[in-house]
Amino acid sequence: MKGLLIKDLKLMKNMRNTLIIIAIVALGMSFYTSDMSFIVVYLAVISTSFTSSTISYDEFENGNAFLFSLPVSRRDYAVEKHLFSLLMCGGGWLAGSVLTVCGGVFRDGLDPAESVMAALVLLPVAIGLSSFMIPVHLKYSGEKGRIVMIILMGGVFLIVISGAKIAEKLGIDFRELGERMPVMSDGMGLAAALGISLVLLLVSCKISIRIMEHKEF
Amino acid sequence: MLRIENLQKNYGAFRLDCSMEVLSGRVTGLVGQNGAGKSTTFKAVLGLVRPDGGKIEILGKDSGQFGAGDRQELGVVLSNAGFSGYLTVRDIIPVLGSLYARFDKAFFLEQVKRFGLPDNQKIKEFSTGMKAKLKVLTAISHRARLLILDEPTAGLDVVARDELLELLRVFMEQDDNRGILVSSHISGDLETLCDDIYMIHQGKIILHEDTDVLLDNYAVLKMDEREYETIEKRYILCSRKESFGYSCLTNQKRFYRENYPKLAVLKGSIDEVIMMMIKGERL
Repeated sequence: MKGLLIKDLKLMKNMRNTLIIIAIVALGMSFYTSDMSFIVVYLAVISTSFTSSTISYDEFENGNAFLFSLPVSRRDYAVEKHLFSLLMCGGGWLAGSVLTVCGGVFRDGLDPAESVMAALVLLPVAIGLSSFMIPVHLKYSGEKGRIVMIILMGGVFLIVISGAKIAEKLGIDFRELGERMPVMSDGMGLAAALGISLVLLLVSCKISIRIMEHKEF
Repeated sequence: MLRIENLQKNYGAFRLDCSMEVLSGRVTGLVGQNGAGKSTTFKAVLGLVRPDGGKIEILGKDSGQFGAGDRQELGVVLSNAGFSGYLTVRDIIPVLGSLYARFDKAFFLEQVKRFGLPDNQKIKEFSTGMKAKLKVLTAISHRARLLILDEPTAGLDVVARDELLELLRVFMEQDDNRGILVSSHISGDLETLCDDIYMIHQGKIILHEDTDVLLDNYAVLKMDEREYETIEKRYILCSRKESFGYSCLTNQKRFYRENYPKLAVLKGSIDEVIMMMIKGERL
């Protein structure tokens, strides 16, 4: 596992220029917008996408066949990709949060506690997205993976929009429903969201292990 | 060290049905044409493809029980795969150090220097020969017991090939309990390195012989049609119609030398034997 993590971190060197551009864009955005959620999600999701890049690098010139002839199990590989993704996602989220919290406090005079809370709310979203991406990229490599990802994202978007339209026609008001639900503190809500996102990550990990165990090289 | 019994794998019309064995202290070669089943056999041994039938035993364990930890004992070269080309030699050192408990960094670095491999250049920018050298160095740098080498000398010039073969000989001399399974399309490599050779054709092993026996006892006999009609065919394995008459492969060279002194008896090289076994007609 450690060897795989080192390999992926070494592969990240190839994405040095992309990382610099992302940092500059995020820094630029922090000067022109007070919408911190966008910057945090932008950094977290982009960082997560580096995991997909390392999967592509592993597949380059049939590299996976060699990788699995080393003392590396397919389970180790799938788990490592999730760990790496979590590290990347966490790193991106942290960088985005520091940037926006500092911006909020020093430029707009916001309460730091409020800014940190807002940043924390976005963490489960980023983890949830990364859970979604890894199995798709492990199952469908290269260009095919990107196409499947776009179709799935479109599908999710379509389901949400259709659901909202149907609910509207049936006269269901989600805002009212939310107000009627038992009161939950911000902290508890956040913990629940984080819990759900981690469960999603575990499910994703399990699916990824299955995908890898069925693959031939 | 390695025992393969009736290994089966089907890819459309191709059917692999292979049995072979690698013994401790021996270097075993696997030869055959492209697409004969060599790489599929290697991949099945390494668990990269799922066999449709048969049994594989590696270092005393059934292949199903042979886990990632057990692969510490293997050194592998695959003909068409290696570390990601986006890594450098300097990058893979800590990776190997973490994956292999007995990775010999000093030896690896010494050999990298000896073979003139650039340590800070992406592997994808290496020449074919440099990539081949790196693959072999990676396989022999963690004191493995069994090396599984698929075309390890492909793309190397004569001098580099000789140096790598010497490394493999030294590897074997260091420990009697080591073994190597190697495939190569360069028969000269196999003749000087292997103790025994398996020949595979269309997914089936068609010949297994000790290299010494193959080189000493096998021969190709050249004769016209009249000689072919009268010659003793008991020791002829296969024959092939030629423009001048017939070529016949025998594993009893001495018999024909002594009893047919006028016959053209050509020393049996691995290439000649492969050619005759594949293109000739079995008697």
